[in-house]
Amino acid sequence: MDTHCPYCALQCGMTLTPTAGPLPVTVAPRDFPTNRGGLCQKGWTSATVLRAADRLTTPLLRDADGELRPATWDDALDAVAAGIERVQAEHGRDAVAVFGGGGLTNEKAYALGKFARTVLRTANIDYNGRFCMASAAAGANRAFGADRGLPFPLADLAGADAVLLLGSNLAETMPPSVQHLAGVRSRGGLVVVDPRRSATAALTGEPGDAVGQGVPDAGRSPGRPVPAPGAGPVGDQGVHLQPVPGTDLVVLLALLHVVVAEGLADAAYLAERTTGVEDVRRSVAAWWPERAETVCGVPAERLRHVARLLAAASPVHGGAGAYVLTGRGVEQSSQGTATVTAAINLALALGLPGRAGSGYGAVTGQGNGQGGREHGQKADQLPGYRKIDDPAARAHVAAVWGVDPATIPGPGKPAVELLRSLGARGTGTTFADDGRPRALLVHGSNVVVSAPDADRVAANLRALDLLVVCDLVPSETALLADVVLPVTQWAEEEGTMTSLEGRVIRRRRAVDAPGEVRSELWILAELARRLGSPVAFPTDPAVVFDELARASAGGVADYSGLSHARLDADEAAGGPGLHWPVPAADHPGTPRLFLDRFATPDGRARLVPVDHVGPSDDVRPDAPLYLVTGRVLQHYQSGAQTRRVPELDRVVPEAFVELHPVLGLRLGVGDGDRARLTTRRGTIEAVARWTDAVRPDTVFMPFHWSGEGSVNRVTTDATDPVSGMPEFKVCAVDVRRAPVLQEVPG
Amino acid sequence: MTRVVVVGNGMVGSRFASDLAARWDDAAGRDPVEVTVLGAEEYEPYNRVLLSEVVAGKVDVAAIGLPGADDARVRVRRGTEAIAIDRAARRVVTGEGAHPYDVVVLATGAAARVPDVPGLTDHPGGLPRGVHALRTLDDAREVVAASVNARHAVVVGAGVLGIEVACGLARRGVPVSLVHGGESVMDRQLDRAAGAVVARGLAGLGVRTWTGARTERVLVVDGAVRGVTLRVAAVADAAPAPGDPGGPGHGGQRATRVVDLGADLVVLACGTVPEAGLARAAGLAVDRGVVVGHDLASPDDPRVFAIGDCAQPPDGGTGLVAQGWDQARRLAEHLAARSGADRAPGPGATVGAVPDATTGTAPGRPRVRLGDADRPSMALRLAMNVVARPVGERRAAAVGAPGAAGGGGPAPAGPGARSTTGTDVVRVKAAGLEIVTMGVCGARRTHDPAHRSVTLSDPVGGRHVEVVVADGLLVGATCVGAPDVGADLTATYTRRFPVPADPAHLLLRPVAQAPAPASSPTHMPDRTTVCTCNGVTKGDVVACWHDGARSVDDVARATRATTGCGGCKDVVCGLVDWLATADPEQPAGAGAPTPVELGA
Repeated sequence: MDTHCPYCALQCGMTLTPTAGPLPVTVAPRDFPTNRGGLCQKGWTSATVLRAADRLTTPLLRDADGELRPATWDDALDAVAAGIERVQAEHGRDAVAVFGGGGLTNEKAYALGKFARTVLRTANIDYNGRFCMASAAAGANRAFGADRGLPFPLADLAGADAVLLLGSNLAETMPPSVQHLAGVRSRGGLVVVDPRRSATAALTGEPGDAVGQGVPDAGRSPGRPVPAPGAGPVGDQGVHLQPVPGTDLVVLLALLHVVVAEGLADAAYLAERTTGVEDVRRSVAAWWPERAETVCGVPAERLRHVARLLAAASPVHGGAGAYVLTGRGVEQSSQGTATVTAAINLALALGLPGRAGSGYGAVTGQGNGQGGREHGQKADQLPGYRKIDDPAARAHVAAVWGVDPATIPGPGKPAVELLRSLGARGTGTTFADDGRPRALLVHGSNVVVSAPDADRVAANLRALDLLVVCDLVPSETALLADVVLPVTQWAEEEGTMTSLEGRVIRRRRAVDAPGEVRSELWILAELARRLGSPVAFPTDPAVVFDELARASAGGVADYSGLSHARLDADEAAGGPGLHWPVPAADHPGTPRLFLDRFATPDGRARLVPVDHVGPSDDVRPDAPLYLVTGRVLQHYQSGAQTRRVPELDRVVPEAFVELHPVLGLRLGVGDGDRARLTTRRGTIEAVARWTDAVRPDTVFMPFHWSGEGSVNRVTTDATDPVSGMPEFKVCAVDVRRAPVLQEVPG
Repeated sequence: MTRVVVVGNGMVGSRFASDLAARWDDAAGRDPVEVTVLGAEEYEPYNRVLLSEVVAGKVDVAAIGLPGADDARVRVRRGTEAIAIDRAARRVVTGEGAHPYDVVVLATGAAARVPDVPGLTDHPGGLPRGVHALRTLDDAREVVAASVNARHAVVVGAGVLGIEVACGLARRGVPVSLVHGGESVMDRQLDRAAGAVVARGLAGLGVRTWTGARTERVLVVDGAVRGVTLRVAAVADAAPAPGDPGGPGHGGQRATRVVDLGADLVVLACGTVPEAGLARAAGLAVDRGVVVGHDLASPDDPRVFAIGDCAQPPDGGTGLVAQGWDQARRLAEHLAARSGADRAPGPGATVGAVPDATTGTAPGRPRVRLGDADRPSMALRLAMNVVARPVGERRAAAVGAPGAAGGGGPAPAGPGARSTTGTDVVRVKAAGLEIVTMGVCGARRTHDPAHRSVTLSDPVGGRHVEVVVADGLLVGATCVGAPDVGADLTATYTRRFPVPADPAHLLLRPVAQAPAPASSPTHMPDRTTVCTCNGVTKGDVVACWHDGARSVDDVARATRATTGCGGCKDVVCGLVDWLATADPEQPAGAGAPTPVELGA
């Protein structure tokens, strides 16, 4: 059975073969444009999750003793319905909130949004995509009028002369994608911006960082600029810029400054296809490279070299093409939207977006991080990437749902604000006391590990009148629930996903779900019935998709020309899926967006001036270092799945903190010691690992664990003012050696 | 209604108008504001800091325009020079009329200082043809135009600006002599040893440097410059020659000689003089600049403020734009808060949030509170490059820079021995020279026993790094010829990162872990990860060879190596070849394995 990997947005193609072994299927990679026959360790071992030792196979209901005990579906669903009715009766419709996930299929995401708006009629639905894609989405929507992570096929990267990769460690988060960088690396054009020398940064081939040891110019690409002496070492496959955490925006402002100052911009493109360049040009006049250097810590000549490298690769200067790509490293910031905007401004100045072979893109992370943000589980959206406050959008969707447009609620609170406001003790500032959500339904998200300031989130969840969690396994969040509902996963269900390149692809069922596991589609239909809703909730994914397609018709993300049948036929004919928009049954899909015009009213892209403010929680005497967070190859997101795969867990079994040996010596934290990290939110502990891959002013922790080493217990929940995305990536921290426990005699 | 008149539409005046409009909330119940900006130049505000880059041909003139205030409450009158401040009538008089004010903010900047040298100051009708200061956009344009046909240029003053201009002209192919009164270049920031390294760097860029050189006369023929006459130490030549300590010894009467330099282009980089004439004429206290207190107000009139280069705050002016921008922000916050406090006491009186730069419309970023106007957050100060840090050091007035050729950046002190606190970060913009200084630096520092200084001196390598550490923090640094180290030091200094236990570690980038591939599989440890995507080590590959795998495909099937990104194919291929050539388990001598070159 051909399907796709359960994990990241690369959605690697794989073939599942039923087997008699301890696992129900074996996994084999198959050729698909994103993975080209490759799989990482997570994909290879993904079948293990199907038979996780503690897989949920029956509903659980918290009994009078406070214990979660197995229950029948009827009892569980009755309890949920009764709880919802009670909370809504006492506190109003908005008092029941919904939290979705970027791993849900398009069909589930759509049904969840519809359920919230038509059955619960609550404004309060948002999802964990707010943690990962909101800033990129806000920036792209503002600039281009549409947000499709990559508005071009991933394989297009192969032909470029330069790729600027900001805050993405794709060599660990989506390893097979590295194949697409082979071309640009062979031409010396991979530029990675990351405070760490990550596995991705190492792809630049940059030889350490000692002065004067660089390869001056491998000279493989004739158009490539020769670095000036002050540019420092340059790898034979690219350049790694290692800014101070929280200053990526300054790097971008300086790059654009150089492009403007040295007359490298694509003037004809800017005149024809954009607006706003004049304001942006002036705004970067204040960011000359030497000034930028004093803020971001990247030498001025290095910034100049990279700007020239990007310009030389751009079409206007005869290059083969250039891409600017952003990832969570720069987006999970209180100035994430501004940083994305600066990246887009740079790309526009070089004439890249909307040109074949060049462009700007955001590297979507979650499996259905793209589709998940298009079909209505976002607080401000309706299906088809429509705005919920647009009367025409409301009328269209209401007609598909068979409801009065006036009954569809308005925009709700974005995720962090929503989580902050939960329960009687919620601390969110925008909720009147009686408007705080008292009940929460969670689908495909483990917020106790993945949300910022996670201890506070957990406390708020405990303060709810009703917490319902749909999950595969008893995740940390499920363990707090009043009702736990076991749901199908990946190889047990039919549906569609939309990959990081906006390609709509089929997820197929290869095995039966164990025990009494059910799909969310069935659960939502049952709840709608119990709550007396007249709105129809079909449970066949193909039927749900057809409805989704109708709801999306005419929207930005238009799926109306697609159906499961068409996608199956396309795949049978060797096609690898279609890129949205697909507005008609005979439409071939849209691999490359914006070639003729941008999706703005006047067809032009917008440049918007932005400026640097810096991290919300900056270093200070009692927290003099930066803490940055990220991922390891073996684990996915909150680790709920991958920590249950022994083969992965063995490689990286627990949290760790990376620090530079020079810092370790100063702090007295040796390699292998337990380090204690304290921020304004609290204190955690983890094993110290010495590495020179981090700056001596910065420590790094992956976030996949709960408990003592759960870094999101101490990250800040400050958010971007435009996107509502939290600032996971940087906060101030104090690091010292954890006190050694004295053995008490006797 | 509060009427604010800003005199000066330069980098600081225009920034202040923007900052004030952004912070002044006219919402219901609050006092509205009306801002008038008077600019003597016809131009929109531009980035004066980049004029040397324009001279160097590195920045397009069209690229230095700065954002103006985009707000209906701000009116900018360009080409309108303020003639007088009528404090009694509270109005600023211009050629076209008068502008009444409730608050007037002087941001008139500074003029280039023209040294009192025969040929310069005695020339009727201003400077002779071919002699230019570099203060305005017109100056820069004229220097660029003159450089096209110039046969020899002389730059007077080897401070930051002088060095930048000299390098810029050299970059344009003009032979340049750089003339400096001090004993070494950039002597406000650099000690002799560091200055010597810079002078060598200048020589390498084609700039001939004369230090300890008094400019005696500028030769003018038919109204145009023809040359410059210097008096230099008799033993000094273009200093310093390799091995030359850098000038004559101290003490005793120096023998001097006269040097005539031919020149058809002379650029004066002798510091600046605050434009304080309006204030002086209005009867306000003026010393070197317009005297203001910590609140940036004149002690003589609480309605008059001065910011930027024209101002003389208690700690003195640095001449760096960072200080002016910081003052602009602080004053804007102060005035906006004061208006709120006057008319809407209560929670609204505290200074609110910083406006959202991304949209200009959002209510703000509530997480950045600026309640304490004197101590903005480190993030904001960094964002604005305001990194002035008191280092507890009182800098003596510019000694040893008498007469004509003073330091380049801020002008030498006048009589009265003004003192300033530690410098900000000074980062020179000159292609081919990498210089940054901060905090405690240079020869003129006062020596504090708590300061621990460590120096790396590498003159032949063109490098000189000094760090000064106190209480586990970096309080000063000088860095020449080591851009990576300089950038790191700046970050460490401005953010007060803890410094290494041994400060000597600050002098070099820590040597990175050598990621170099083993030269031969024989030397590769078994635990070395070969395939990152699937966590396969060399030992795993060897083990599967012993289990019968004989090709890369066999190894891939057995271990999944090469099945992720495929980047390790060459290495796995090399391992398989090596295993095929010689079984690594055999004892050495019984068939030594042949090294196989591995693809990295």
